Amino acid sequence: MSAILLDDELLHYEVLGRGRPILFFHGWVGSWRYWIPAMQATSMAFRTYALDLWGFGDSAKNQRLYTLEQQAGLIERFMDQMGMGRVALVGHGLGAVAATLFTRAHPEAVDRLMAISCPLEAGMVSQRLRGAAAGELTDWLLGRGPIDVTEAARTDAPKADPQAIQASLKLLPGLNFKEFTYGVFTPRLLVHGLNDPAIEAPRIEQYADLPEGTHQVVFDQSGHFPMLDEGSKFNRLLADFLNLPSGDTPRQLQLKEEWKRRVR
Amino acid sequence: MAKILIAEDERDIRDLISFTLRFAGYEVVAASNGEEAVQMAIQEIPDLILMDVRMPRMTGYEACQRIKIEPSVAHIPVVFLSAKGQEAEIRTGLEAGAVEYLLKPFAPDQLTERVRALLAQQGK
Repeated sequence: MSAILLDDELLHYEVLGRGRPILFFHGWVGSWRYWIPAMQATSMAFRTYALDLWGFGDSAKNQRLYTLEQQAGLIERFMDQMGMGRVALVGHGLGAVAATLFTRAHPEAVDRLMAISCPLEAGMVSQRLRGAAAGELTDWLLGRGPIDVTEAARTDAPKADPQAIQASLKLLPGLNFKEFTYGVFTPRLLVHGLNDPAIEAPRIEQYADLPEGTHQVVFDQSGHFPMLDEGSKFNRLLADFLNLPSGDTPRQLQLKEEWKRRVR
Repeated sequence: MAKILIAEDERDIRDLISFTLRFAGYEVVAASNGEEAVQMAIQEIPDLILMDVRMPRMTGYEACQRIKIEPSVAHIPVVFLSAKGQEAEIRTGLEAGAVEYLLKPFAPDQLTERVRALLAQQGK
């Protein structure tokens, strides 16, 4: 277990591999732990860090830190403390929101961003998620996936401070990241699960006019957790995205048919 | 909690295996060459040893043979890790006292499954 103190608050993270840095951020259910397969898949070429956001996993539980701005600020402070210059960010749900906010504020520090199950606008967020109690999220968002697949997210879910979850959910309706996609040139890959009950996957025509640096991929067999529901496909897409030359558009990336054949 | 000794000179692979097994719930100790592996086996008395074949100072075969003649650790199962294309070495490894070969590269979850099965055979 690795941890650092940021303004006297303990931040837990795990690290694996060598190379250019990638930071992984979990969502509303679970902790750093469900990134283990993605870290394993990318660790031979990258130095992968997975962090517990404030109020989650083994990081500090302090209500003062639960705003979206504080969660995004965690990224900046972590990078400062670790001496990182420019990184790739991979965020899921709440982690994707925090990573997107950070990228908007510090585009120079983000080489590329993969945002998974991230609402681009308030209309994509289900009413149930906005009003959900922390305790009901685990079963609802993880669905009925096999226990061995979802275990990594379930294990640490009870460690979360319900107030950390509620604080972030209350602020979701105020978000509008769609406009943001047109103002920042950071390559961004948006990933959604077609069957996500909480964050609606955007329809193709809805985002047909995404700017050149932004691309979206929809996993048709996934719910809220594409990295668990379709792990092999997800890790391939992640590797392809990370291996693009810096500044290249992710437009060329797609879920190729041969992947489907291979992972079935 | 079962304890596993990993003997592997390539740091990236050693780290990946350690990480995988640590978060699968095992205690992990690691050595970076054959000589160190023998010393750590005697000191730590692990439940299982995962050993690379080609290591500096002392090969995996030699380290395994040393372990198998040391009464305090002779009972510990040794699994060799070997790159694909070196299958001819399997016989040599088994003759040195290994119980199994794992061919690299292997998927992390395959490794965890094999480790779990081998430990279960010992009642761990």
